[in-house]
Amino acid sequence: MSQGLEGTGLLLRFALRRDRVLAPAWVLALSGMVLVSAAATGPLYGSEAERVAAAEALNASPAVVALYGPILDTSSLGELSMTKMTVLYAVFVAFMGVVLVRRHTRVEEETGRAEMVGATAVGVHAPTAAALAEAALASLVVGLLAAAGNIVAGLPVAGSVLFGASWTGIGLVGAAIALVAAQVSSSARTVGFLASTAIGALYLLRAVGDTSVSWLSWLTPFGWGTRLSAWSEPRVWLLVGYPLLAVGLTGVALALRRRRDLGAGVLPDRPGPAEGSPRLRDVAALVWREQSAALTGWTIGIAVIGILMGSIIPSIGSMLGTGEAREVIEAMGGVGALQDVLVSALASVIAVVITCYGISAVTRAAGDERDGRTETLLATATSRRGLLVAVAGSALVGATWLLLVSGAATAVGRGEGFDPVGAALVQAPAVWLVLALGLLLLSLRSRWAVAGWALVAACVTLGQVGESLDLPGWLVGLSPYHHVSRYPAEAVAWRPELVLTLLALAALAASWTRYRGRDIG
Amino acid sequence: MSNPIEVHGLVKTFGRARALDGLDLVVSPGEVHGFLGPNGSGKSTTIRVLLGLLRIDGGQVGVFGLDPWRDATDIHRRLAYVPGDVSLWPNLTGGETIDLLLRMRGVDPRGTRRAELLERFELDPTKKGRAYSKGNRQKVALVAAFAAPVELLVLDEPTSGLDPLMEQVFNTCLAEHKAAGATVLLSSHILSEVERLADRVTIIRTGRAVESGTLEDLRHLRRNRVRAEVSGTVPALEGLDGVHDVEVDGRLVSASVDPVGLPLLLDALSTAGVVSLVSTPPTLEELFLDAYRSTP
Repeated sequence: MSQGLEGTGLLLRFALRRDRVLAPAWVLALSGMVLVSAAATGPLYGSEAERVAAAEALNASPAVVALYGPILDTSSLGELSMTKMTVLYAVFVAFMGVVLVRRHTRVEEETGRAEMVGATAVGVHAPTAAALAEAALASLVVGLLAAAGNIVAGLPVAGSVLFGASWTGIGLVGAAIALVAAQVSSSARTVGFLASTAIGALYLLRAVGDTSVSWLSWLTPFGWGTRLSAWSEPRVWLLVGYPLLAVGLTGVALALRRRRDLGAGVLPDRPGPAEGSPRLRDVAALVWREQSAALTGWTIGIAVIGILMGSIIPSIGSMLGTGEAREVIEAMGGVGALQDVLVSALASVIAVVITCYGISAVTRAAGDERDGRTETLLATATSRRGLLVAVAGSALVGATWLLLVSGAATAVGRGEGFDPVGAALVQAPAVWLVLALGLLLLSLRSRWAVAGWALVAACVTLGQVGESLDLPGWLVGLSPYHHVSRYPAEAVAWRPELVLTLLALAALAASWTRYRGRDIG
Repeated sequence: MSNPIEVHGLVKTFGRARALDGLDLVVSPGEVHGFLGPNGSGKSTTIRVLLGLLRIDGGQVGVFGLDPWRDATDIHRRLAYVPGDVSLWPNLTGGETIDLLLRMRGVDPRGTRRAELLERFELDPTKKGRAYSKGNRQKVALVAAFAAPVELLVLDEPTSGLDPLMEQVFNTCLAEHKAAGATVLLSSHILSEVERLADRVTIIRTGRAVESGTLEDLRHLRRNRVRAEVSGTVPALEGLDGVHDVEVDGRLVSASVDPVGLPLLLDALSTAGVVSLVSTPPTLEELFLDAYRSTP
């Protein structure tokens, strides 16, 4: 295997140079969240008893467990501090691996740049090896910084290191998953979709395992994070699972790589229709056609998540743990009220996820402009207005549809009442505003559209950090999601909903004013 | 304005860079107009202004007598555009893309010459956009542009990536459209292509038109290379108006000469007893190299 690796070091340095902003930003954002959570959680509770009660209350809520995984040792400060980091944020670590690997493998092949590199004195496997090495390096650094963050915040050193190691491990697994996906399809988009679906499935498998069929959680790397018990009596041997899985997947990827040509996928490119359907006649139809595969995938994914989460809600009464947890819940207004809180909490998390669909629709339009397809469109009788309306429509209508799907699916899963539909739909104005701001970025300058992802990340961070850091209200209030009513736990407050909608309209108007007057390309 | 394209004093800046600096370009009805210039001289920027994709900072631009910025869609119904670097939608087939672009111009693909052109260009319309090579991407755009009658063709280095056989198909298609009365703006680097196809050319350098006219006009403006053999001693030619680059080798003499200097040179040579004389008009290549290089 020494052959075919010539030039790996060079390509790795080149990859690091290209990712000098992306990779450090991702690593620092994630490890920063660890530091903040670790530093903020301790002071939140006056006594150990309070802390244990809080941990038990979290465990008593199946939706929380489904989202974050269980707290196995309720007396451990480390485990409580890292509740969100252990499973949910590990997903973002895995995605870091996916993004880095996909960027330097399939995207390079699709654009033809890999061919240029392949024609130099660089080995066949060097691009793959360099991509993997970069992702491994980023995973290692994020793990080290996460461990350091925990130690700085005063958590036990051993637990901190083990926790960091689990993050490095999940990063490696994400990278290896992307590496396999990159061999399968010749389309970079499909590769991203396959890898995300795999990670989503592993996460969902754990959610089911943690809430009902517990052995399932042992099968997925997202279940290992909690079962490692980094902070109490650690199962250190579980850490071997990550590299083992990563190496296995890498072996599969290399075997697949040997069976295919550069630029091709294992799945052959199927020929398509020789003629365009009469419906494919304008930019709206084109954008719809471009988005339909993604929207179908999202609809199925959101429906599955909704049904699963919804079906967990009714079990909340029977799963109450100790007396203390019961007291906490009674203090919050009883089981019915708690269910309502869960419905609205779930809806707010899913709303952020759905926003990502809309942002991807906007960044796709930015990619069309970068590559010159927008120019081709606007050289026909297609107007700028028609184009912007189509893009805005695909983002806003698509996201609204997904909100409806998530609400309906949650209601079906719960099997009682239509509150979840309302809970999902009250999120719409916040989603619209974030997407309208994303469109404004696109209209200001197409290259800025990717900052839409930063917008979503900033809102999530404000929401997450705001609650643990006790940030000033105006700062937390910058996130549109913060102003949405917590229906059905609270009545719908129409004023903020209206204000958010008006702000979204204003952003859309500003977007159009700018887009009609700017240079294209 | 009756000309399909009329540009006067066009200025376009990107930040501090002046991409177009007072460009003039007039394309008359029914002509094939070659648009030439070195890389980065502003050809594509000009074309994108003509398509209403860029806002201008000065001058006047008219396409069919309309403002390309304000009346973009009205203009675009009457023209077809082939970009220099064609990018296709990765998951649409070539056939779908052709039909989409035709429909977007307001043309129904049925009843066009689409099928015939696919055959002539030997293009498989069932492949996905991402699977085409550069040449085949170019063919997709060309078939979409040539399939239906159109008043104006805007072609930005349209044959880049085509093999010589396909270049011939391209030439034939262009000739057919010209015969049907279409006007063509042809940006190109390939001199033989321009020589064969263009009625008039405009040469652009650093955002300004440095030459414009028929190739014959341009040739007349340029120096002939004169080589002569004399029986007596070679006269002193350096001082003559319009005579340059004099080289003497025994009784052989050669010099470049402007049209104004020709009578003076001939006088001097016949006084010295000219034995033989050859005058070579500038080749197209010299013409362009000269225009590309010289300061205006």
